[in-house]
Amino acid sequence: MLFHDWLKNDSKIILFDGAMGTEIFKRGIEPGKIPDLLNIEKPDIISEIHKSYYDVGSDMCQTCTFGSSSLNLKKYKLEDRIKEINEKALENIKKACPPTCLIVGDIGPSGEFRPPVGNTTSEQWQSSFANQVKILENGVDLWHIETISDIEEMQAAIRAVKKNSEKPIIASMTYNKTPRGYFTIMGDSLEKCIQILEREKVDVIGANCTIGSNDMIGLIEESIKLTNKPLSAKPNAGQPKIDKNGKPFYEYPTKDYARDIHDMINLGAKIVGGCCGTSPQTIMEICKIIDSL
Amino acid sequence: MSQENLYGEISDAIVNLNEDKATELANKAIDENLNILNVIEEGFGAGIRRVGELWDAGEFFLPELMRGAKIMQDCLDLLIPHLQGGIERKTLGKVVIATIEGDIHSIGKTIVATMLRAYGFEVYDLGADVPAEKIIDEAIEKNVDIIGVSALLTTTMLGQKKVVEILKKKGISNKFKVILGGAPVTSKWVEECGADGYAGNAVEAVELAKSLLHI
Repeated sequence: MLFHDWLKNDSKIILFDGAMGTEIFKRGIEPGKIPDLLNIEKPDIISEIHKSYYDVGSDMCQTCTFGSSSLNLKKYKLEDRIKEINEKALENIKKACPPTCLIVGDIGPSGEFRPPVGNTTSEQWQSSFANQVKILENGVDLWHIETISDIEEMQAAIRAVKKNSEKPIIASMTYNKTPRGYFTIMGDSLEKCIQILEREKVDVIGANCTIGSNDMIGLIEESIKLTNKPLSAKPNAGQPKIDKNGKPFYEYPTKDYARDIHDMINLGAKIVGGCCGTSPQTIMEICKIIDSL
Repeated sequence: MSQENLYGEISDAIVNLNEDKATELANKAIDENLNILNVIEEGFGAGIRRVGELWDAGEFFLPELMRGAKIMQDCLDLLIPHLQGGIERKTLGKVVIATIEGDIHSIGKTIVATMLRAYGFEVYDLGADVPAEKIIDEAIEKNVDIIGVSALLTTTMLGQKKVVEILKKKGISNKFKVILGGAPVTSKWVEECGADGYAGNAVEAVELAKSLLHI
Protein backbone atom coordinates (compact mmCIF):
# COMPACT_ATOMS: atom_id res chain seq x y z
CA MET A 1 0.00 0.00 0.00
CA LEU A 2 0.86 3.65 -0.44
CA PHE A 3 2.06 4.20 3.12
CA HIS A 4 4.54 1.32 2.95
CA ASP A 5 5.81 2.66 -0.39
CA TRP A 6 6.38 6.02 1.24
CA LEU A 7 8.23 4.39 4.11
CA LYS A 8 10.45 2.43 1.75
CA ASN A 9 11.25 5.44 -0.40
CA ASP A 10 14.35 6.98 1.18
CA SER A 11 13.85 10.36 -0.42
CA LYS A 12 10.24 10.68 0.75
CA ILE A 13 9.50 12.78 3.83
CA ILE A 14 5.88 12.19 4.85
CA LEU A 15 4.02 15.35 5.76
CA PHE A 16 1.41 14.83 8.48
CA ASP A 17 -1.20 17.41 9.51
CA GLY A 18 -1.12 20.04 12.26
CA ALA A 19 -3.41 20.68 15.21
CA MET A 20 -7.12 19.97 15.19
CA GLY A 21 -7.99 21.16 18.70
CA THR A 22 -6.51 24.64 18.49
CA GLU A 23 -7.96 25.12 14.98
CA ILE A 24 -11.41 24.28 16.35
CA PHE A 25 -10.96 26.74 19.23
CA LYS A 26 -10.08 29.46 16.72
CA ARG A 27 -13.51 28.92 15.25
CA GLY A 28 -15.10 29.57 18.62
CA ILE A 29 -16.04 26.21 20.11
CA GLU A 30 -17.91 26.48 23.42
CA PRO A 31 -15.83 25.49 26.42
CA GLY A 32 -16.82 22.18 27.84
CA LYS A 33 -17.58 20.41 24.63
CA ILE A 34 -15.37 17.57 23.53
CA PRO A 35 -14.09 18.53 20.07
CA ASP A 36 -14.96 15.05 18.77
CA LEU A 37 -18.66 15.81 19.20
CA LEU A 38 -18.32 18.50 16.52
CA ASN A 39 -18.07 15.66 14.00
CA ILE A 40 -21.84 15.46 14.50
CA GLU A 41 -22.74 19.02 15.48
CA LYS A 42 -20.52 20.97 13.08
CA PRO A 43 -19.32 18.48 10.45
CA ASP A 44 -18.51 21.26 7.98
CA ILE A 45 -15.99 22.84 10.36
CA ILE A 46 -14.20 19.51 10.84
CA SER A 47 -14.10 18.79 7.09
CA GLU A 48 -12.91 22.33 6.43
CA ILE A 49 -10.00 21.94 8.88
CA HIS A 50 -8.98 18.60 7.35
CA LYS A 51 -9.18 20.14 3.88
CA SER A 52 -7.09 23.12 4.96
CA TYR A 53 -4.28 20.70 5.84
CA TYR A 54 -4.58 18.53 2.72
CA ASP A 55 -4.65 21.76 0.65
CA VAL A 56 -1.29 22.97 1.95
CA GLY A 57 0.43 19.66 1.29
CA SER A 58 -0.27 17.17 4.08
CA ASP A 59 0.20 13.65 2.70
CA MET A 60 -2.09 12.37 5.42
CA CYS A 61 -4.43 13.78 8.06
CA GLN A 62 -5.95 12.18 11.10
CA THR A 63 -9.59 11.75 12.06
CA CYS A 64 -11.03 14.04 14.73
CA THR A 65 -11.33 11.14 17.17
CA PHE A 66 -8.62 11.87 19.74
CA GLY A 67 -11.07 11.43 22.62
CA SER A 68 -13.46 8.93 21.04
CA SER A 69 -12.55 5.76 22.89
CA SER A 70 -15.14 4.33 25.29
CA LEU A 71 -13.37 5.26 28.52
CA ASN A 72 -12.83 8.86 27.51
CA LEU A 73 -16.32 9.36 26.08
CA LYS A 74 -17.75 8.03 29.32
CA LYS A 75 -16.44 11.08 31.16
CA TYR A 76 -18.66 13.21 28.95
CA LYS A 77 -21.55 10.74 29.26
CA LEU A 78 -21.22 10.09 25.53
CA GLU A 79 -20.17 6.45 25.59
CA ASP A 80 -23.40 5.34 23.93
CA ARG A 81 -22.60 7.59 20.96
CA ILE A 82 -19.19 6.07 20.20
CA LYS A 83 -20.35 4.56 16.90
CA GLU A 84 -22.00 7.72 15.67
CA ILE A 85 -19.06 9.97 16.57
CA ASN A 86 -16.40 7.77 14.99
CA GLU A 87 -18.49 7.09 11.87
CA LYS A 88 -19.19 10.78 11.39
CA ALA A 89 -15.49 11.52 11.84
CA LEU A 90 -14.73 9.16 8.96
CA GLU A 91 -17.35 10.80 6.79
CA ASN A 92 -15.93 14.25 7.52
CA ILE A 93 -12.36 13.37 6.65
CA LYS A 94 -13.32 11.35 3.55
CA LYS A 95 -14.99 14.45 2.14
CA ALA A 96 -11.71 16.34 2.43
CA CYS A 97 -9.14 13.68 1.49
CA PRO A 98 -7.76 13.84 -2.08
CA PRO A 99 -7.27 10.48 -3.86
CA THR A 100 -3.48 10.59 -3.55
CA CYS A 101 -3.53 11.17 0.21
CA LEU A 102 -4.21 8.99 3.22
CA ILE A 103 -6.56 8.94 6.20
CA VAL A 104 -5.08 8.20 9.60
CA GLY A 105 -7.25 6.87 12.44
CA ASP A 106 -6.45 8.95 15.51
CA ILE A 107 -6.47 7.29 18.92
CA GLY A 108 -5.70 9.44 21.97
CA PRO A 109 -5.24 8.53 25.64
CA SER A 110 -8.15 7.14 27.66
CA GLY A 111 -7.59 9.73 30.38
CA GLU A 112 -7.62 6.90 32.89
CA PHE A 113 -4.57 5.70 34.81
CA ARG A 114 -3.48 2.40 36.30
CA PRO A 115 -2.77 2.05 40.04
CA PRO A 116 -1.39 3.76 42.06
CA VAL A 117 -2.46 6.83 40.09
CA GLY A 118 -5.88 5.51 39.03
CA ASN A 119 -7.76 2.21 38.96
CA THR A 120 -7.78 1.16 35.33
CA THR A 121 -6.46 -2.20 34.11
CA SER A 122 -4.79 -3.06 30.80
CA GLU A 123 -7.83 -5.15 29.88
CA GLN A 124 -10.12 -2.17 30.39
CA TRP A 125 -7.87 0.00 28.25
CA GLN A 126 -7.70 -2.59 25.52
CA SER A 127 -11.44 -3.12 25.34
CA SER A 128 -12.06 0.65 25.36
CA PHE A 129 -9.65 1.19 22.44
CA ALA A 130 -10.96 -1.88 20.60
CA ASN A 131 -14.47 -0.41 20.57
CA GLN A 132 -13.12 2.62 18.74
CA VAL A 133 -10.82 0.68 16.41
CA LYS A 134 -13.60 -1.61 15.18
CA ILE A 135 -15.59 1.40 13.96
CA LEU A 136 -12.72 3.38 12.43
CA GLU A 137 -11.26 0.29 10.73
CA ASN A 138 -13.91 0.81 8.07
CA GLY A 139 -12.34 3.89 6.62
CA VAL A 140 -8.79 4.54 7.73
CA ASP A 141 -5.55 3.66 5.91
CA LEU A 142 -3.35 3.52 8.98
CA TRP A 143 -3.35 4.36 12.70
CA HIS A 144 -1.80 6.98 14.93
CA ILE A 145 -1.90 6.19 18.64
CA GLU A 146 -0.74 9.43 20.22
CA THR A 147 -0.13 11.53 23.33
CA ILE A 148 0.22 8.43 25.50
CA SER A 149 2.16 8.87 28.74
CA ASP A 150 2.06 5.28 30.00
CA ILE A 151 3.79 2.65 27.86
CA GLU A 152 1.39 0.03 29.28
CA GLU A 153 -1.56 2.00 27.97
CA MET A 154 0.21 2.24 24.62
CA GLN A 155 0.68 -1.54 24.58
CA ALA A 156 -3.03 -2.01 25.32
CA ALA A 157 -3.89 0.30 22.42
CA ILE A 158 -1.50 -1.52 20.07
CA ARG A 159 -3.08 -4.85 21.00
CA ALA A 160 -6.53 -3.39 20.42
CA VAL A 161 -5.49 -2.27 16.93
CA LYS A 162 -3.69 -5.49 16.01
CA LYS A 163 -6.63 -7.67 17.03
CA ASN A 164 -8.97 -5.73 14.79
CA SER A 165 -6.83 -4.39 11.97
CA GLU A 166 -3.81 -5.20 9.84
CA LYS A 167 -3.07 -1.62 8.95
CA PRO A 168 0.20 0.14 9.84
CA ILE A 169 0.62 1.76 13.24
CA ILE A 170 2.43 4.95 14.23
CA ALA A 171 2.90 4.85 18.02
CA SER A 172 3.61 8.26 19.57
CA MET A 173 4.37 8.69 23.25
CA THR A 174 4.41 12.11 24.89
CA TYR A 175 7.56 13.05 26.80
CA ASN A 176 8.81 15.73 29.13
CA LYS A 177 12.39 16.91 28.96
CA THR A 178 14.05 16.35 32.34
CA PRO A 179 17.65 16.85 33.49
CA ARG A 180 18.07 13.08 33.09
CA GLY A 181 16.63 12.91 29.59
CA TYR A 182 13.22 12.40 28.04
CA PHE A 183 10.61 10.72 30.23
CA THR A 184 6.85 10.39 30.20
CA ILE A 185 5.02 11.69 33.26
CA MET A 186 4.61 8.05 34.32
CA GLY A 187 8.38 7.67 34.36
CA ASP A 188 8.87 5.71 31.14
CA SER A 189 12.19 6.69 29.56
CA LEU A 190 12.60 7.22 25.84
CA GLU A 191 14.88 4.19 25.72
CA LYS A 192 12.37 1.93 27.48
CA CYS A 193 9.51 3.11 25.27
CA ILE A 194 11.48 2.56 22.07
CA GLN A 195 12.54 -0.92 23.17
CA ILE A 196 8.97 -1.91 23.91
CA LEU A 197 7.59 -0.34 20.73
CA GLU A 198 10.14 -2.28 18.69
CA ARG A 199 9.08 -5.46 20.42
CA GLU A 200 5.42 -4.64 19.72
CA LYS A 201 6.38 -4.35 16.03
CA VAL A 202 4.80 -1.00 15.32
CA ASP A 203 5.62 0.46 11.91
CA VAL A 204 6.68 3.91 13.05
CA ILE A 205 7.89 5.14 16.44
CA GLY A 206 6.85 8.68 17.26
CA ALA A 207 6.59 11.47 19.80
CA ASN A 208 4.02 14.23 20.00
CA CYS A 209 2.67 17.04 22.17
CA THR A 210 3.90 18.29 25.59
CA ILE A 211 7.22 19.68 24.36
CA GLY A 212 7.83 22.32 21.74
CA SER A 213 9.70 21.78 18.48
CA ASN A 214 13.00 23.09 19.91
CA ASP A 215 13.03 20.36 22.59
CA MET A 216 11.82 17.73 20.13
CA ILE A 217 15.06 18.06 18.11
CA GLY A 218 17.07 16.47 20.92
CA LEU A 219 14.48 13.73 21.30
CA ILE A 220 14.80 12.79 17.63
CA GLU A 221 18.58 12.87 17.94
CA GLU A 222 18.38 10.42 20.86
CA SER A 223 15.79 8.22 19.16
CA ILE A 224 17.88 7.77 16.01
CA LYS A 225 20.60 6.19 18.14
CA LEU A 226 18.11 3.77 19.69
CA THR A 227 16.18 2.39 16.72
CA ASN A 228 16.21 1.76 12.99
CA LYS A 229 12.44 2.18 12.78
CA PRO A 230 11.09 5.22 10.93
CA LEU A 231 10.45 8.14 13.31
CA SER A 232 7.54 10.55 13.51
CA ALA A 233 7.57 13.97 15.20
CA LYS A 234 4.54 16.13 16.01
CA PRO A 235 5.71 18.72 18.56
CA ASN A 236 3.77 21.66 19.98
CA ALA A 237 4.28 25.24 18.87
CA GLY A 238 5.68 26.27 22.24
CA GLN A 239 3.33 26.69 25.20
CA PRO A 240 -0.16 28.20 25.12
CA LYS A 241 -0.85 31.75 26.30
CA ILE A 242 -4.09 33.69 26.68
CA ASP A 243 -4.53 37.03 24.91
CA LYS A 244 -6.46 40.07 26.20
CA ASN A 245 -9.74 38.80 24.78
CA GLY A 246 -9.38 35.49 26.56
CA LYS A 247 -8.39 33.70 23.36
CA PRO A 248 -5.59 31.17 23.47
CA PHE A 249 -2.56 31.63 21.27
CA TYR A 250 0.83 30.03 20.81
CA GLU A 251 3.68 32.46 20.54
CA TYR A 252 6.40 30.29 19.00
CA PRO A 253 7.04 31.74 15.54
CA THR A 254 6.09 29.57 12.55
CA LYS A 255 9.44 30.19 10.87
CA ASP A 256 11.30 28.90 13.93
CA TYR A 257 9.02 25.88 14.15
CA ALA A 258 9.66 25.06 10.49
CA ARG A 259 13.41 25.48 11.02
CA ASP A 260 13.28 23.04 13.96
CA ILE A 261 11.39 20.54 11.80
CA HIS A 262 14.06 20.97 9.14
CA ASP A 263 16.66 20.02 11.75
CA MET A 264 14.63 16.93 12.68
CA ILE A 265 14.42 15.88 9.02
CA ASN A 266 18.18 16.30 8.71
CA LEU A 267 18.60 14.09 11.77
CA GLY A 268 16.44 11.41 10.17
CA ALA A 269 12.77 12.03 11.03
CA LYS A 270 10.59 10.35 8.40
CA ILE A 271 7.17 11.76 9.30
CA VAL A 272 6.73 15.37 10.41
CA GLY A 273 3.74 17.49 11.33
CA GLY A 274 2.46 19.46 14.27
CA CYS A 275 0.52 19.20 17.49
CA CYS A 276 -1.09 21.92 19.67
CA GLY A 277 -0.78 25.43 18.33
CA THR A 278 0.26 24.50 14.80
CA SER A 279 -1.90 25.52 11.86
CA PRO A 280 -2.16 25.09 8.09
CA GLN A 281 0.29 28.00 7.90
CA THR A 282 2.82 25.91 9.86
CA ILE A 283 2.31 22.89 7.62
CA MET A 284 2.67 25.07 4.52
CA GLU A 285 6.05 26.32 5.77
CA ILE A 286 7.18 22.73 6.40
CA CYS A 287 5.93 21.72 2.96
CA LYS A 288 8.15 24.39 1.39
CA ILE A 289 11.12 22.95 3.23
CA ILE A 290 10.36 19.39 2.12
CA ASP A 291 9.94 20.55 -1.48
CA SER A 292 13.34 22.25 -1.35
CA LEU A 293 15.19 19.13 -0.13
CA MET B 1 16.28 3.03 69.06
CA SER B 2 16.40 6.75 69.62
CA GLN B 3 13.43 8.72 68.43
CA GLU B 4 15.61 10.51 65.87
CA ASN B 5 16.61 7.18 64.39
CA LEU B 6 12.99 6.13 64.23
CA TYR B 7 12.05 9.36 62.47
CA GLY B 8 14.84 8.70 59.98
CA GLU B 9 13.63 5.16 59.39
CA ILE B 10 10.07 6.31 58.85
CA SER B 11 11.21 8.96 56.42
CA ASP B 12 13.28 6.38 54.52
CA ALA B 13 10.34 3.96 54.41
CA ILE B 14 8.23 6.65 52.71
CA VAL B 15 10.98 7.56 50.23
CA ASN B 16 11.60 3.87 49.47
CA LEU B 17 7.83 3.48 49.00
CA ASN B 18 7.98 0.59 51.46
CA GLU B 19 4.40 0.30 52.64
CA ASP B 20 4.97 -2.65 55.00
CA LYS B 21 7.86 -0.94 56.73
CA ALA B 22 6.01 2.35 57.07
CA THR B 23 2.96 0.61 58.56
CA GLU B 24 5.15 -1.41 60.90
CA LEU B 25 6.87 1.74 62.15
CA ALA B 26 3.55 3.54 62.59
CA ASN B 27 2.29 0.65 64.73
CA LYS B 28 5.54 0.62 66.65
CA ALA B 29 5.14 4.31 67.46
CA ILE B 30 1.63 3.62 68.73
CA ASP B 31 2.69 0.55 70.78
CA GLU B 32 5.55 2.43 72.39
CA ASN B 33 3.29 5.34 73.15
CA LEU B 34 5.57 7.83 71.43
CA ASN B 35 4.55 11.41 70.81
CA ILE B 36 2.43 10.81 67.74
CA LEU B 37 2.44 14.42 66.65
CA ASN B 38 6.24 14.40 66.45
CA VAL B 39 6.20 11.05 64.67
CA ILE B 40 3.88 12.49 62.03
CA GLU B 41 5.73 15.74 61.55
CA GLU B 42 9.34 14.61 61.83
CA GLY B 43 9.02 11.10 60.42
CA PHE B 44 6.24 10.90 57.86
CA GLY B 45 6.21 14.62 57.06
CA ALA B 46 9.93 14.64 56.42
CA GLY B 47 9.54 11.57 54.18
CA ILE B 48 6.84 13.03 51.99
CA ARG B 49 8.78 16.28 51.67
CA ARG B 50 11.72 14.27 50.33
CA VAL B 51 9.35 12.52 47.90
CA GLY B 52 8.22 15.96 46.75
CA GLU B 53 11.80 17.06 46.24
CA LEU B 54 12.59 13.96 44.18
CA TRP B 55 9.51 14.62 42.04
CA ASP B 56 10.63 18.20 41.61
CA ALA B 57 14.08 17.07 40.53
CA GLY B 58 12.67 14.69 37.93
CA GLU B 59 13.89 11.61 39.85
CA PHE B 60 10.39 10.49 40.83
CA PHE B 61 7.40 10.31 38.50
CA LEU B 62 3.66 10.19 38.92
CA PRO B 63 3.41 6.57 40.19
CA GLU B 64 6.09 7.17 42.88
CA LEU B 65 4.54 10.45 43.96
CA MET B 66 1.04 8.99 44.26
CA ARG B 67 2.27 5.84 45.95
CA GLY B 68 4.33 7.81 48.49
CA ALA B 69 1.36 10.02 49.29
CA LYS B 70 -0.95 7.02 49.59
CA ILE B 71 1.36 5.25 52.05
CA MET B 72 1.64 8.45 54.04
CA GLN B 73 -2.15 8.87 54.11
CA ASP B 74 -2.75 5.26 55.21
CA CYS B 75 -0.25 5.67 58.04
CA LEU B 76 -1.84 8.96 59.11
CA ASP B 77 -5.20 7.20 59.29
CA LEU B 78 -3.59 4.69 61.67
CA LEU B 79 -1.84 7.31 63.79
CA ILE B 80 -4.33 10.13 64.13
CA PRO B 81 -6.76 8.27 66.47
CA HIS B 82 -3.79 7.81 68.83
CA LEU B 83 -2.84 11.47 69.13
CA GLN B 84 -2.22 11.95 72.83
CA GLY B 85 -4.06 13.97 75.43
CA GLY B 86 -6.43 15.85 73.21
CA ILE B 87 -3.58 17.18 71.14
CA GLU B 88 -4.88 17.59 67.67
CA ARG B 89 -2.69 17.65 64.65
CA LYS B 90 -2.98 21.24 63.69
CA THR B 91 -4.03 21.53 60.09
CA LEU B 92 -2.04 24.05 58.13
CA GLY B 93 -5.25 25.34 56.64
CA LYS B 94 -8.36 24.33 54.75
CA VAL B 95 -8.41 24.09 50.98
CA VAL B 96 -11.20 23.44 48.52
CA ILE B 97 -9.91 22.31 45.14
CA ALA B 98 -11.53 21.46 41.81
CA THR B 99 -11.04 21.32 38.08
CA ILE B 100 -13.28 23.96 36.54
CA GLU B 101 -16.51 23.33 34.65
CA GLY B 102 -16.09 21.96 31.14
CA ASP B 103 -12.73 20.44 31.92
CA ILE B 104 -12.47 16.77 32.81
CA HIS B 105 -8.70 16.73 33.36
CA SER B 106 -8.37 15.76 36.97
CA ILE B 107 -4.92 14.28 37.35
CA GLY B 108 -2.98 17.50 38.03
CA LYS B 109 -5.58 18.67 40.51
CA THR B 110 -5.54 15.26 42.24
CA ILE B 111 -1.75 15.38 42.62
CA VAL B 112 -1.93 18.84 44.16
CA ALA B 113 -4.73 17.75 46.53
CA THR B 114 -2.73 14.67 47.55
CA MET B 115 0.42 16.64 48.26
CA LEU B 116 -1.42 19.36 50.17
CA ARG B 117 -3.04 16.68 52.30
CA ALA B 118 0.27 14.93 52.86
CA TYR B 119 1.80 18.18 54.06
CA GLY B 120 -0.98 18.73 56.58
CA PHE B 121 -3.69 20.75 54.87
CA GLU B 122 -7.32 19.77 55.19
CA VAL B 123 -8.39 19.33 51.58
CA TYR B 124 -11.85 19.08 50.04
CA ASP B 125 -11.41 17.72 46.53
CA LEU B 126 -14.58 18.40 44.52
CA GLY B 127 -13.40 16.51 41.43
CA ALA B 128 -13.47 17.68 37.82
CA ASP B 129 -15.97 19.62 35.70
CA VAL B 130 -17.20 21.68 38.67
CA PRO B 131 -19.10 24.97 38.10
CA ALA B 132 -17.52 28.11 39.61
CA GLU B 133 -20.64 28.72 41.73
CA LYS B 134 -20.42 25.26 43.28
CA ILE B 135 -16.73 25.72 44.17
CA ILE B 136 -17.57 28.96 45.94
CA ASP B 137 -20.58 27.49 47.77
CA GLU B 138 -18.35 24.70 49.11
CA ALA B 139 -15.63 27.18 50.07
CA ILE B 140 -18.13 29.18 52.10
CA GLU B 141 -19.70 26.11 53.69
CA LYS B 142 -16.39 24.55 54.69
CA ASN B 143 -14.98 27.92 55.69
CA VAL B 144 -11.76 27.28 53.80
CA ASP B 145 -8.69 29.49 53.58
CA ILE B 146 -7.74 28.66 50.01
CA ILE B 147 -9.64 27.93 46.81
CA GLY B 148 -7.65 26.00 44.21
CA VAL B 149 -8.93 25.99 40.61
CA SER B 150 -7.38 23.85 37.91
CA ALA B 151 -7.79 24.08 34.13
CA LEU B 152 -5.90 22.22 31.45
CA LEU B 153 -7.66 23.66 28.44
CA THR B 154 -7.10 27.17 27.19
CA THR B 155 -10.86 27.42 26.69
CA THR B 156 -11.80 26.42 30.23
CA MET B 157 -9.21 28.73 31.80
CA LEU B 158 -11.79 31.48 31.57
CA GLY B 159 -13.71 29.64 34.30
CA GLN B 160 -10.82 30.37 36.67
CA LYS B 161 -11.39 34.07 36.14
CA LYS B 162 -15.09 33.55 36.76
CA VAL B 163 -14.38 32.22 40.26
CA VAL B 164 -12.55 35.42 41.17
CA GLU B 165 -15.25 37.57 39.59
CA ILE B 166 -18.07 35.88 41.51
CA LEU B 167 -16.15 36.26 44.77
CA LYS B 168 -15.75 39.96 44.05
CA LYS B 169 -19.41 40.35 43.16
CA LYS B 170 -20.39 38.72 46.41
CA GLY B 171 -17.98 40.98 48.26
CA ILE B 172 -16.16 38.04 49.84
CA SER B 173 -12.92 37.97 47.88
CA ASN B 174 -10.96 39.01 50.99
CA LYS B 175 -12.08 35.84 52.78
CA PHE B 176 -10.23 33.43 50.50
CA LYS B 177 -6.95 33.11 48.68
CA VAL B 178 -7.50 31.85 45.14
CA ILE B 179 -4.74 29.80 43.54
CA LEU B 180 -4.70 28.58 39.96
CA GLY B 181 -3.09 25.61 38.30
CA GLY B 182 -2.92 23.83 34.95
CA ALA B 183 -0.52 23.60 32.04
CA PRO B 184 -1.53 26.83 30.28
CA VAL B 185 -1.67 28.95 33.48
CA THR B 186 1.00 31.62 33.92
CA SER B 187 1.66 34.34 36.48
CA LYS B 188 0.42 36.84 33.92
CA TRP B 189 -2.90 35.03 33.71
CA VAL B 190 -3.14 35.00 37.51
CA GLU B 191 -2.61 38.75 37.53
CA GLU B 192 -5.23 39.25 34.88
CA CYS B 193 -7.74 37.16 36.81
CA GLY B 194 -6.97 38.94 40.06
CA ALA B 195 -6.13 35.61 41.71
CA ASP B 196 -3.51 35.22 44.43
CA GLY B 197 -1.02 32.91 42.83
CA TYR B 198 -0.24 29.95 40.63
CA ALA B 199 2.01 26.95 40.92
CA GLY B 200 3.70 25.03 38.14
CA ASN B 201 3.65 21.74 40.02
CA ALA B 202 2.40 20.09 43.21
CA VAL B 203 5.45 20.93 45.30
CA GLU B 204 5.26 24.57 44.30
CA ALA B 205 1.55 24.48 45.12
CA VAL B 206 2.32 23.44 48.70
CA GLU B 207 4.89 26.22 49.03
CA LEU B 208 2.46 28.71 47.54
CA ALA B 209 -0.35 27.66 49.91
CA LYS B 210 2.00 27.96 52.88
CA SER B 211 3.32 31.34 51.89
CA LEU B 212 -0.19 32.72 51.26
CA LEU B 213 -1.17 31.69 54.79
CA HIS B 214 2.13 33.01 56.17
CA ILE B 215 3.22 29.56 57.38
